[in-house]
Amino acid sequence: MVLDTLFQRLHETQVASAIRENANAFPWIESIHVLAITLVFGTIVIVDLRMLGYAAHRRGLRRLILDMLPFTWAAFAIAVVTGSLLFISNAVTYANNVQFQWKMLVILAAGINMAIFHMTAHRRIADWDEAVPTPLSARLSGATSLALWMVVIVLGRFVGFTLAPF
Amino acid sequence: MSVQTFDDWLYATPLSTSIRETGWLIPAVQSIHILAIAIVIGSALVSDLRLAGVLATDEAPSTVVRRYLPWMWSALLVLLLTGIVMILAEPGRTLTNTVFWTKMLLVLSAFTLTLFFRKPLLDPQFRADHRGWWRATKPAAWSSLAVWVAIIFCGRWIAYT
Repeated sequence: MVLDTLFQRLHETQVASAIRENANAFPWIESIHVLAITLVFGTIVIVDLRMLGYAAHRRGLRRLILDMLPFTWAAFAIAVVTGSLLFISNAVTYANNVQFQWKMLVILAAGINMAIFHMTAHRRIADWDEAVPTPLSARLSGATSLALWMVVIVLGRFVGFTLAPF
Repeated sequence: MSVQTFDDWLYATPLSTSIRETGWLIPAVQSIHILAIAIVIGSALVSDLRLAGVLATDEAPSTVVRRYLPWMWSALLVLLLTGIVMILAEPGRTLTNTVFWTKMLLVLSAFTLTLFFRKPLLDPQFRADHRGWWRATKPAAWSSLAVWVAIIFCGRWIAYT
């Protein structure tokens, strides 16, 4: 398959072999990856729970999203960069790992869920910003987001476990 | 009894053995541990940045702390319980590991900082005239964030040391 050749090439890059050859590289990158995902999930949970009606430090959801989103995106960017480095260090194996494949799909689903919220309920947020209970569509988005990101983290942990007992 | 002897005894107990032999249990418990530390990090980020005067400065520190402290305590309890399961399953990986004890020391520091610099804010009797306390709040908030980051790094490195 064309993709397999691509993954093989990634595996053979200098960066990938440097990560494989330096015993400390993988754990360091992995630690930063874990820190990044805890920040991604930790900041998203605050917004998701507010969408479900739990109070946060802002009365309105609009300002809460403005407060949290820069942290979520910055941490997500770091997670993608570190995740890519971990991936290329053993590209073919990860690409063929079922848990890894599901993890990518679920991240995509979480992204689509977020996009739908921003294109629908968030457009009219001025009308319901401080309202509790929140509109049903917001509650659905929040619950879906919470569930999908939890699955992402669980799958991520199982990726590590199916490849090596860490 | 040395730590090593205790390790060996714990490792051989039926409970420890059955946790290890249930293949999915350890990664499942680790997943819950990561989800809980994420709750702590999210709560710590907002609360500490508020106390440091960086985020949501138009909200009262007590409002911010009141919202997040209960989540933090619950998540810490989950971390303690899932952590105990991991120690039970693989005592050799933790109890004789310097990184593990460093992490425990850091957890104790973060816990103390949280208790000392957040809990008083929940008390309506606690007045702003504690000037020394307020002066110490900013560095304490930055230290708390740094300590939580270090805790996450130690957590991952326990697996490699």
